[in-house]
Amino acid sequence: MPSVAIVDDEEGIRKALSRLLRASGLDAESYANGQEFLDAAAEHRPDCVVLDLHMPGMSGLQVLRKLKAAGQRLSIVVITAHDEPETRERCIDAGACAYLRKPLEDRLLLNAISAAMRAHTPHIKR
Amino acid sequence: MNVEPAAVLRTGRVEQGLLWSALAVAVGYYLGARLGFLFTLQPHPISTLWPPNALLMAALLLAPARWWWMLLVAALPAHLLAELQSGVPLAMVLGWYASNCSEALIGAALVRVFVRGPLRLDSLRRAGLFLLFGVLVAPLGSSFLDAGLVTLIGFGDGDYWTLVRTRFSGNVLAELTIVPLIVTWASWRPRELRDALPKRFAEIAAVFAGVLMTSVVAFELPVFDANTAPALFYAPLPFLLWAAVRLGPRGTASALALMVVVTIWGAVHGLGPFAGGPPQDTARDMQLFLISVSVPLLLLAMALEEGGKAELDAHEQRQQLTHLSRVAMLGELSGGIAHELNQPLTAILSNAQAAQHFLAGKELDRHELSEILKDIIAADQRAGEVIHRLRALFKKGESHLQPLDANELVREVLSIAHGDLITRAVEVLPDLAPNLPLIEGDRVQLEQVMLNLVMNGCDAMTAGGVDARRLSIRSRSSDALVQISFTDLGLGFRAEDYDKLFQPFYTTKPQGLGLGLSISRSIVTAHGGRLWGSSNPGHGATFHISLPILDLGPITARALN
Repeated sequence: MPSVAIVDDEEGIRKALSRLLRASGLDAESYANGQEFLDAAAEHRPDCVVLDLHMPGMSGLQVLRKLKAAGQRLSIVVITAHDEPETRERCIDAGACAYLRKPLEDRLLLNAISAAMRAHTPHIKR
Repeated sequence: MNVEPAAVLRTGRVEQGLLWSALAVAVGYYLGARLGFLFTLQPHPISTLWPPNALLMAALLLAPARWWWMLLVAALPAHLLAELQSGVPLAMVLGWYASNCSEALIGAALVRVFVRGPLRLDSLRRAGLFLLFGVLVAPLGSSFLDAGLVTLIGFGDGDYWTLVRTRFSGNVLAELTIVPLIVTWASWRPRELRDALPKRFAEIAAVFAGVLMTSVVAFELPVFDANTAPALFYAPLPFLLWAAVRLGPRGTASALALMVVVTIWGAVHGLGPFAGGPPQDTARDMQLFLISVSVPLLLLAMALEEGGKAELDAHEQRQQLTHLSRVAMLGELSGGIAHELNQPLTAILSNAQAAQHFLAGKELDRHELSEILKDIIAADQRAGEVIHRLRALFKKGESHLQPLDANELVREVLSIAHGDLITRAVEVLPDLAPNLPLIEGDRVQLEQVMLNLVMNGCDAMTAGGVDARRLSIRSRSSDALVQISFTDLGLGFRAEDYDKLFQPFYTTKPQGLGLGLSISRSIVTAHGGRLWGSSNPGHGATFHISLPILDLGPITARALN
C-alpha cells in the first residue's frame, strides 16, 4: 500500500485528509509541522507528501527548499488556503509536483497524488 | 406642447400642499382671532395678545415665497368672519386686514432675505434674525400703519402715540409667543413620540406641571398682596430654565406660551399682580414682563440647541470615521479571512467525501462515520465563529461600555488576525499576565485598536523584509492601569516622525488610509487611557495602550468572579 505523508498545522484537516486517503486505499501518516515531517522523512521515505503551504514556524516553501538542498527528491503535492499568484511558481521551482487550492476536491487530490507518485517512481524509466 | 407626466405629477402635489396650507391658515387665523377677543381687557377694549398676525407670519416663514399671496388671500375670509361678528365698521375691518398682512409680510420678507427656505429656530443667528425683524421691526412698522388707520377712520378714542405703543407691545408679545411655537412644532414628527423613553415623558410632564402651577400661584391666585407679588414673578423661572436647558426650543416655546396664556387669563379676569389699575397700565406692565422673560429664555434654548447639534454632528462624524477605518482594515485582512474560512471548509469537504468513499465500501464502520459527522459539525461551528467575529467588527453602532478582560480582547484579536499572521509568516509571542484586573470599554472599538497595532506590526516587518517576523504582545497591570504592549521587529520609526504617526492621513503604507493610529489614539483617549509608541530604529517599534482599571465595588467584583 503506497504511503502518503500529510503535513498540515490544522488537526481537523490532518484528520479529514487521512480518512479520505485511507478510504481510497492509501496509507496516511500525518505531521503537525515541517520539522516533525523532515525528521520522520529522513528515517522513512514516504511515496508522496501532501504539504500545506502556510504553517506557523517552518512554511511549506521552506520544507521544499530544505528537501531540495538536501538532495531529497520526493513526490510533493502542495495545498494552500491562501492562494497568491506568485506562490504556485515558487513551489514548482522548489520541486513540488502539483499545487492545489483548498478546499480540495477528492478526485483532483487523488489524481495529483497518483500523478506525483508516477512521476517520481525511480524504477519506471521515462 | 408636450408636458412630461412627472412635471404634471409634481405640480399636482405642490398644489395640494398649498391648498392644505391655505386652509390651515384660514382656520388658524379665525380661531386665533377668537382667542384674541378672549384676551381683551375690559371695559376699555385692549387686546393683550393678538394671535392672527403672528400666525400669519409663522405661515409665511415656513412656506415658499410663491405661496405667500395665496396664504394672505386665505386669511381674508377668516378675518372678515371674525371681525364683522364684533360689530367693527367695514372700513376698519379692511384696514386691520391690511395692517395685519403688512406685519406678517415685513417680518417674513426681511427674515427671508437672510435665511433661505423655511425658518428653523435652532441657531443663535436665525433666532437673532427672527427677533430683530419678526419681533421688533415688523410690529413697529405695522403699529404705525395700524394706529394711523384707526385715527384716520376715527374708530376708538385713543390718541395716535398711545395707540402705536399699545399695538406695538401687544404685537411684540404675540410674535414672540406664537411664531416660535408654530415654527418649532412644524418640524415635529410622530417618530419622536415613538422613540421617546417613559423617563422623558415624565420629565416633560413635570416641567409643564411646574410652569402651570407656579404661573397660577403667581399670576392668578389672590393669595399674596401687592408687596410680596414682585418676588413671586420669578416663581415660574426655575421651570422655564429647566425647559430651556432640557427640552430645547420647542419645549421652551411651549412652556413660555403656557405661562403667557395663564398670566393673561388672570389679568383679563381681574386676577394677579397686574390687574387692578387702568387697563392700559395692566396691559403694558404685563406685556413688558412677559417679553423680558421670553426673550432671554428663547435665546438660551436656541444657543443650547446649537451647541448640542454641533456636538452631535461631531460625534456622528467621529463614529462614521471610526467605522470607516475599521471596515478599511478588515478589507486589508480579507486574504487572511479567506484563509480562515477555507480551513474549516476544507475539513468539511474532505470529511464528507471520505464518508462517501466509506459508504461505497463493503463494510460500514458506524463509529468512523459518527466521528466524521462530529468533526464536520466542529469545523462548521468554527467557520460560523469566524463570521460571527467579523460581523461584530463590521457592524456600525453606538459605543457600548462593559467590563472587559484585556487578555481576552488580545486573544480575540489574534483569532481574527490568525489567517493574516499565518499567511505572512508572523509568529506571535503572547506574554499575558494572569488575573488581569478588568477594564471598562467598548469591545469592538478596543479590538479595533489592538487589531490596528497588530497589523501595523506585521506591515512593518513585511515591508522591512525582515526574516524573523516576531510580534510580542505583553499585558501587565499596575495599581490603576492595565497596559498592553505590541512589539515588532520591523524597521521602527525615526524620532522626528513620531508626532506625524498619530496625525490623520499620514501613512507609510502604499495602500494605507493613514487613519489607523489617529483613530486608535482617539478611541483610547475616549476610554480615559493613553496610546504611545517607542522605537529603536532598525530594531523594531513598541506601541503601548494603557487603560484605567474598572473601579468595581467589592460586591460587583465578587459577583463577576
